[in-house]
Amino acid sequence: MNEQEFTEINTNLTQELRRGILVLATLSQLKEAKYGYALISSLSERGLDIEQGTLYPLLRRLETQGLLQSAWDVEGSRPRRYYQISPAGERVLEALVADWRNLITVMEKLIGNQEGESHESH
Amino acid sequence: MNLIDRYIHEVGRRLPRKNRSDIQAELRSLLTDTLEDRTRGEPTEEDIVALLKEFGPPQKVAASYAPEGQYLIGPTLYPLFRMVVGIALAAVLGAQLLAIGIGYIFDSTLIQPLEVLGGLFSSVPATFGSVVIAFAILQWFDVRPESKDEPWNPRSLPQIEDSREINRGERIFGIIAGSVLLALLLAFPDRIGIYTYPGGVFFANPIIAQYLGLISFSLLVSIALDIYLLWQGRWSTLSRLARIAANLLSMVVLYLLFQGHNAWLVERGASGFITSIERLADDPATNWQLIGMQAFRMAFGIALLVTVIETMVELYRMVKASLSSETSSRLAA
Repeated sequence: MNEQEFTEINTNLTQELRRGILVLATLSQLKEAKYGYALISSLSERGLDIEQGTLYPLLRRLETQGLLQSAWDVEGSRPRRYYQISPAGERVLEALVADWRNLITVMEKLIGNQEGESHESH
Repeated sequence: MNLIDRYIHEVGRRLPRKNRSDIQAELRSLLTDTLEDRTRGEPTEEDIVALLKEFGPPQKVAASYAPEGQYLIGPTLYPLFRMVVGIALAAVLGAQLLAIGIGYIFDSTLIQPLEVLGGLFSSVPATFGSVVIAFAILQWFDVRPESKDEPWNPRSLPQIEDSREINRGERIFGIIAGSVLLALLLAFPDRIGIYTYPGGVFFANPIIAQYLGLISFSLLVSIALDIYLLWQGRWSTLSRLARIAANLLSMVVLYLLFQGHNAWLVERGASGFITSIERLADDPATNWQLIGMQAFRMAFGIALLVTVIETMVELYRMVKASLSSETSSRLAA
C-alpha cells in the first residue's frame, strides 16, 4: 500500500465512522429549533466539523422519517428553515444515546485490550 | 450574487420536480447565511467561489438530496423487470418462429432470412420498450413488488445446477441415431424415396440423392462431436462453439434440402399440400409423388426449425456459462 492509497482508504474509513454518529449528533442539538447554518456552527463550536453538503440533506431525510419537524420563518431579514426534534425523534434520541454509551464501553474494552496484547507481544 | 443564482439553478435542474423549489430556497438561505457570517458585509467574488467549492459540484449536491437515486426502473423493481422482459421476449420470439413454421407447412412460403430478421428488428425493441414503459410507470408511482413475509428457510435454497455437465443419454442417443441414419444413407442411397400407391411404384427422391455427400458429411461431424463430448464429460467454450458450428452446417444442409424440394415442387406447379390432395383423384400416380415430396419438404422444414431453436438455446447457454464463470473467477481473484 503506497502513501496515496493509505490516505484514500483512511479518509474513506474516517468518513464512514463519522457518518454513523451524525444522526445522534444532529438530534442532540435540535431540542431548540435551529436553522441549518446555526446548527453547523453550534456543532463546530463543540468540536464536530461536518461538511455542509452532508448535513443539510440529512436534515431533510430525518424530517421525512418523522424525527424532525421544520418550518420556514419568513419574518427575519431573510427566510430561513428551522428544524426541531419531534416527539418521535426524542424517543429515538434516547435509545441512540443509550446505545452510544454502551458502544463506548465495549469499544474501549476492545481497543484497550488490543493495545495490551500488542504490548505483550513486543 | 449572480454565481449563486447560477449554482442554485444548476442544482435545481438535477432535483426531482416534487420538492425542487423548496430545496432551492433552502440552499439559497444556507449559502447566504454562511457567506454573511464569513464576510460580514460585502462578499467578493473570490469568497463566493470558495464557498461554492466547499459545497461541491451541483450534480453531487443534487445527488445528496436524493440518496436513493433517481431511476427509470429502480433496484426494487429491477429483478421483476428482468424476469418479465425475459418472458416477453421469449414469447415474442417463440410466436415468430411458430408463425414462420406454420407459414412453411400450410402456404409453403419460403424462408426469407431478411424478412425474418426485419421482423425481429421491429418486434424485439417494441417488446422491450413496452415492458420498460410499463415498469417506468410503476416506478413513477413508487409501486413496490410485494415481498414475502414468510420466514426464510436456508434449507429451501435451490440446488446448484451445473450447466457444464453433459447429458450423456442425449449424446448416446445422438450417436446411435446419427450412425443408423448414416449407415442407411450410405448403404441404400437409391432406396430413399416414395412408394406411390396404388401400384407400388418406387420413386427415388432426387433431391436427397443430389445432396448425399453433404448430408453424410454433416451427420459425420455431429457424430464425431457427440463422441468427443461424451469423452470430455463437460462443456467448454470450445466445444460449445464447435456444437454451434456443427448446427450451422446442419442448418445449411437442411435449408438446401428444403429449398431443393421446394424448387422441384414449384417446377411441377404443386407448391401447396392441400392442392395436391385435391388433385389426387385426377392423376393418382403423379400426385402421390408430389404428396411424398411435400412430406419430405415438411420434414426438412421442421428439422430446420428445430435446429435453429436448438442453436439459439445453445448460444444462450454459452453466454450464460461464460458470464457465470466470469463472476466466479472474479470472486476467486
